Amino acid sequence: MISVFLAQLAKERRNPYIILIFIAASIGGTLIFTGGAQSPTTVSIFSEEENAQAVEEKWESLLNEGSDIHFVVADPDEARKNVQQGRSDVAVKVMEDDYQLVTASSMPTVGYVDQQVRTVFEQEAFIQGAIAQSDDSEALRSSIEAQLNQPPIEMEVLSLTGEERADYDMGTQLMFAFTLLTAMFIIGFRVNNILKDKVEGLWDRMILSPLSKTGMYTAYIAYAFFIGFIQMTAVVLIFKYGLHYDIGERLDLLLLALAFFTFSMVSVATLVTGLVKKPEHFYALYPSLIPMIPLISGAYWMPGTVTNPVLTFIGDLFPVSHAMDAILGVVMHDATLQDITQPLILMVLIGVIAMGIGVNLVERRTG
Amino acid sequence: MIEAIQLNKKFKEKIVVKDVDLYLDKGESVGLLGPNGAGKSTTISMISSLLKPTSGDVKLNGKSVVKTPADIRKVLGVVPQEIALYQELTAYENLKFFGRIYNVPKDQLESRIQRTLELVGLKERQKDLIKTFSGGMKRRINIASAMLHEPEILILDEPTVGIDPQSRNYILEMIRQLNQQDHTSVLYTSHYMEEVEQLCDRVYIMDHGKVIASGSQPELLSILSNEDTMMVQLNQTSNELITAILKMDVVRNIEETSDGLKIIAKKSSNIISDLVKLVDQHNSKIINFQMENPRLEDVFLHLTGRTLRD
Ligand SMILES: Nc1ncnc2c1ncn2[C@@H]1O[C@H](COP(=O)(O)OP(=O)(O)OP(=O)(O)O)[C@@H](O)[C@H]1O
Ligand SMILES: [Mg+2]
Repeated sequence: MISVFLAQLAKERRNPYIILIFIAASIGGTLIFTGGAQSPTTVSIFSEEENAQAVEEKWESLLNEGSDIHFVVADPDEARKNVQQGRSDVAVKVMEDDYQLVTASSMPTVGYVDQQVRTVFEQEAFIQGAIAQSDDSEALRSSIEAQLNQPPIEMEVLSLTGEERADYDMGTQLMFAFTLLTAMFIIGFRVNNILKDKVEGLWDRMILSPLSKTGMYTAYIAYAFFIGFIQMTAVVLIFKYGLHYDIGERLDLLLLALAFFTFSMVSVATLVTGLVKKPEHFYALYPSLIPMIPLISGAYWMPGTVTNPVLTFIGDLFPVSHAMDAILGVVMHDATLQDITQPLILMVLIGVIAMGIGVNLVERRTG
Repeated sequence: MIEAIQLNKKFKEKIVVKDVDLYLDKGESVGLLGPNGAGKSTTISMISSLLKPTSGDVKLNGKSVVKTPADIRKVLGVVPQEIALYQELTAYENLKFFGRIYNVPKDQLESRIQRTLELVGLKERQKDLIKTFSGGMKRRINIASAMLHEPEILILDEPTVGIDPQSRNYILEMIRQLNQQDHTSVLYTSHYMEEVEQLCDRVYIMDHGKVIASGSQPELLSILSNEDTMMVQLNQTSNELITAILKMDVVRNIEETSDGLKIIAKKSSNIISDLVKLVDQHNSKIINFQMENPRLEDVFLHLTGRTLRD
């Protein structure tokens, strides 16, 4: 059993580029799609009103006061060009009491910026409305602002786990979505080694040796687990210590969730392996199936974006959505082991069922 | 030692192996001869416990292999027909892998790997990847990986297919040594007559899933005892002459070879004079005439009316 594992490791060491490419892809993908940095980002604002400068100055100070994004005044043409050429995702055109977003993309960051800007504008519109009916506008403004900052009834927004809800961080979510996606690929390719070795006759040779069949399956499955887990751990560590992403305090819980995900995904890959006869069929089926899972599971969108019950149901059949639940719980909401027990159990459940069916199918399909 | 009893194998409704009886005694070297698709590989897959027979049984020292395959797996080495090696690993790494899965004791593994590499003549190339090897070298490693655990029984499935004559002789010589010096029992599958003639004490001839003849080489050749094989070289031949020869009562078969006409005929006293007359009538002359010793090839031809490599 160990020898089968070691033989695969030796193959990997001789040809480590796939793993390295996948690690690079997780990191590269995250950086590209989140614009390279987590919020707060810098966003240009400009005005094209007649009294442009006054408008710009007013909103610059109000916006920066009310948001963790850094807003800077920029030349209108310059700002537009930057957006067009993709140097920045979004710029804000401010008017006397309205605004427009200038953007060429639908990155999650754009939604976040929009949300922040809108809050400030709505608050200001409210204040202006009140001022219009009052004489001492300065006094009123400061009293309203004071009240807004210390409202008489405080509404606390809690997350599902009952923790205080932190600002939602799309960058971190995408980082994990990509990491899981690439891991699903590498796990599948390594589980597919079973089929590859069957076709090449190595499997039969192993059967004729004193190795037990259980031992053989265990070795392949353990190897796929090992390589998938190593890859994700590497990515997480690079983000934490290399790129200084904030991924919470509980690295242990995070890795635990990733381990459960890996097991579960190895099983799903085994199930897919059982559906095909030849390794080439696997290469055709698996890569077209896998990218859809995080899509359906909503891993790329803000939570609550995917609401279609059919899609949510299908998504929940795969480990990704549960893994994201557990991971984001740990990373953003300081969830404890108890808090993530449910997604962990669901992943084990998926894993056990898929593995059972998968191994049986592999046995029946290819004998 | 090993005994196959009334083996049958059906794939779907297609009967691939039918009522095969076969045995292999300790230290024996036995050939399984037959053309492509005869069912040789299927038969040895059943014998080696890889494939379950549709009916019949295989016994190792009286115990059913089908029921308890673990016993035979300890004493058996199988060289598969197709090369089954990790192409991305070196020769050394492949051998180490096979040594380990066969539980070769750790302290002996290294020396056995080196000895086996020497035996197959690839010690110098042990650090090279299999995928960089020539077909013949891959075949040799393919064989070597079945020998590391020093099996009592070695089953080889056409181990010399598609390789140069030099590698082929090398492999045959190696197997002969294993059989004669180490007393390894050998079951050797081939569709090359010469190899089996050179290597095997006893031979089973298979065709269309059935054993059509078996026995020691002299026993098999005695099937031909009432036939003569002769090589006739003429200064010129024609289709009419060949047809005329074939029409002679005693002639069973005629084949044009590069050495002349190979004629198989019933033993008779006047075949030579009749032949001379016939050739004369067709304005041709006999340049060379030779009575041939019958070979296994001829046995097959006699039994099936086809040559082995048809
Ligand atoms: N798994 C299978 N399913 C269906 N038919 C099979 C299977 N394996 C072998 N056969 C058929 O059984 C017949 C015998 O095959 P086998 O491989 O035993 O022949 P062989 O004597 O080893 O031939 P060769 O010299 O070409 O290796 C062939 O007609 C082959 O197509
Ligand atoms: Mg064969």
